[in-house]
Amino acid sequence: MSVRIDPLPKEIARVRVARLDALARHGARARAELLGRAGARLLDPTDPLRMEAEERLPQKSGLSPAMARAVIEGMARDWTAARLLGLLEAEFPDPDVLDRFVPGPQGRLVRAIAPALSLHIGAGTVPGVTATSIIRALLVGSAAVWKIVPSDYALTRAFLGALLKEAPELAAMSTGVGWEGGAVPDGVGILFDEADLVVVYGGDETVRSVRERLPVTTKLVAYHHRLSAAVLGRDALAGDALAAAADAGAHAVAMFDHRGCVSPHMIFVEEGNGGSARDFAVALAAALERLRHSLPVGTLSPAEGSAVQQLRGGMEMRAAAGEPIEVHAARDGSWTVLLEPPGAIAPCLGRTVRVHPVTDVHEAVKHLTPVGPHLQTVGVAGLDGARLEELANALGEIGAIRICPLGDVAFPPPWWHHDGQGPLRSLVRWVDLES
Amino acid sequence: MTAPGDSFDALARDLQALFGRGVGGCVLGDDEFNGWALRVFRWQLASNAAYRGYCAGRGATPGSVARWEDIPPVPTSAFKHVRLFSAGQGREPEAVFRTSGTTGGADRRGEHPVASLALYRAALLPAFRAHAVPERGRLPILALIPSSDDAPHSSLAYMVATAMRELGDERSAWLAGADGALDEARLVAALRGAEAAGRPVLIAATAFALVHALDLLAREDTRVQLPRGSRLMETGGFKGRSRVVERDQLYAAVHARLGIPEERIVNEYGMTELLSQFYEPVISAPTTAAAPLAERFHVAPPWVRTRVLDPVTLATLADGSPGLLCHLDLANAGSVACVLTEDMGVVVPGGIRVLGRVPGAEPRGCSLAAEELLKAVRR
Repeated sequence: MSVRIDPLPKEIARVRVARLDALARHGARARAELLGRAGARLLDPTDPLRMEAEERLPQKSGLSPAMARAVIEGMARDWTAARLLGLLEAEFPDPDVLDRFVPGPQGRLVRAIAPALSLHIGAGTVPGVTATSIIRALLVGSAAVWKIVPSDYALTRAFLGALLKEAPELAAMSTGVGWEGGAVPDGVGILFDEADLVVVYGGDETVRSVRERLPVTTKLVAYHHRLSAAVLGRDALAGDALAAAADAGAHAVAMFDHRGCVSPHMIFVEEGNGGSARDFAVALAAALERLRHSLPVGTLSPAEGSAVQQLRGGMEMRAAAGEPIEVHAARDGSWTVLLEPPGAIAPCLGRTVRVHPVTDVHEAVKHLTPVGPHLQTVGVAGLDGARLEELANALGEIGAIRICPLGDVAFPPPWWHHDGQGPLRSLVRWVDLES
Repeated sequence: MTAPGDSFDALARDLQALFGRGVGGCVLGDDEFNGWALRVFRWQLASNAAYRGYCAGRGATPGSVARWEDIPPVPTSAFKHVRLFSAGQGREPEAVFRTSGTTGGADRRGEHPVASLALYRAALLPAFRAHAVPERGRLPILALIPSSDDAPHSSLAYMVATAMRELGDERSAWLAGADGALDEARLVAALRGAEAAGRPVLIAATAFALVHALDLLAREDTRVQLPRGSRLMETGGFKGRSRVVERDQLYAAVHARLGIPEERIVNEYGMTELLSQFYEPVISAPTTAAAPLAERFHVAPPWVRTRVLDPVTLATLADGSPGLLCHLDLANAGSVACVLTEDMGVVVPGGIRVLGRVPGAEPRGCSLAAEELLKAVRR
């Protein structure tokens, strides 16, 4: 890994050569094994690289130390050999297809070709995103140039540092380049000209500007803005289930300080059987208050703080004016639970979440429909069997990517269909050899 | 619940008398300001059930609040959803002012019901006079905004109309249509007329309108040398409009095209939610006029006090630390007096420096931008 590039064309040539060298030595399964060894180091709390990441991450990302540890653990869990081999096999029934032609359907031979050079532009919202993107590229066999995003640098550096120790020949396939802002300065334009594939995380504007900058032949994998939600069936309100759902919901809201694409912004609660959305809101507030101590909030930006105060104060005033609204909030502004009837979807910053009572879970689908194109994860509880499948069908139809247990929303497994696409299959190009 | 011995009429009358002492003669000490603030607070608790409930939720009751700093601030967003009117039973607002609706991502406009326009006039005039027309006598006021007839819900239009009536002469004119578009022919004619007449004028404009006026003059390659003593009062940022021009460039262009030098350009900081305004003391205090633009600051009339709050916790910050501006404006007696803005600012010697609207959530990937999502919802 190197960071300051001078001059860039030479560095690009270097990673291209390193790629050829690495691919000649290691097939896809071997790369998964080696990448996994690096990932495992970050799961070891005594490893110096892990310790360094724990120290640097809070400074650069604004997360609290406890949250930084939880993020490192959550991310690195998916960077082990077992998980990466699982990812390979989930994406490619025969992972050798990344190395050579293998028999495919209808008697032909098929091969998956990785982009020789890929460019990865993370967003910096959630640490670990850049490293995950690099890992996917190296796994399929692509040299990876990545944008240095300050808030996501600590974890990227930690992973690549570990890889440098475990498999320097793979680490040599990647290089970081720094530039400011979302626009593409002339100095790094060569990256956009030379890359065979660009992976970009960002706002709709960033994605649009990258798309416009690319030659028409360059493949783009774009992860634009996403919004997540949760839906609770009435069975989640009974007895012990209520506390469990509240804990799971609080964890989902608090993780990444609510900045993740997976962070739920609204939780629809199906009332009935003596359970109410209010019961859930109260339990959720209590759970968030507990997490205030065990998983403290990091540094909120003035924009986030102001948005929370405007939302919270406005809702308190509406409640005082007689609207059916309840506001539960931390004294220090670190979390807010808003209980209100469902209405227009309005995202909220900070650890802020809206709880909406519904009489049937399918009402949630109706309310989420307008944000369908941006809908990502929907955490569920108190639903199973045919009811769950029916709801999942309806959510999938409007745009949801992933329906999962509420407790699992924060960390999707490596083989999830990331924003609707296979995380590795979306990177490669297929070649058919017909006989 | 009633406040014994007080009524809106009595309160408004006493406040008008207070404001009538002017911004120079009426210097309120801490205790005196506190007394006024608590009287207004108690009146608002007594006459406004929503605000009373809001304050109770934050642990603030008439008995528990002894310092104006402990009065719960109302965020500007509340003006979008709840009618914040504190004028007593049976009274209707004399006017309802609306925000321009350009707040990022907002799908509603804020509304400020005004219980007494006389009280508004009493609050706005002394400060306008002190900072824009301190000399005796009238002068032409050229307004580059829609008139108060065309924009009955604009607090700015009402303010300028009041200033025209009290301080303007017969050559004062509204030079923008109801849609805000400049009446180009009349604007150029008015400027030429003022140049020829040889008497100073006051131009009142939003920064946005000013940019368009300067574009027009540049397009026609027109330069006007307005008579010495002319001045410009400009207000408002660009609030998400298409063009943003750096302030020094804007002022340099004003000097070049209109002949008004930087030290005769006053920025006004005001908002629909407040009936008092802040001005840069440049015409009123020529010593500060010479300071570089970056060192400029705003002053409030004595009946307004400002705190700078931590955006996350709302704790009061030490002077010099940037945070959210929170104003207590006695002129808001008929609505809510303590207002939390979305403006970042800092307390400096002599006043406050407004640093601008708190930046929106950065465009962050793998997450959301409230505005973009709202756009998506609206499609």
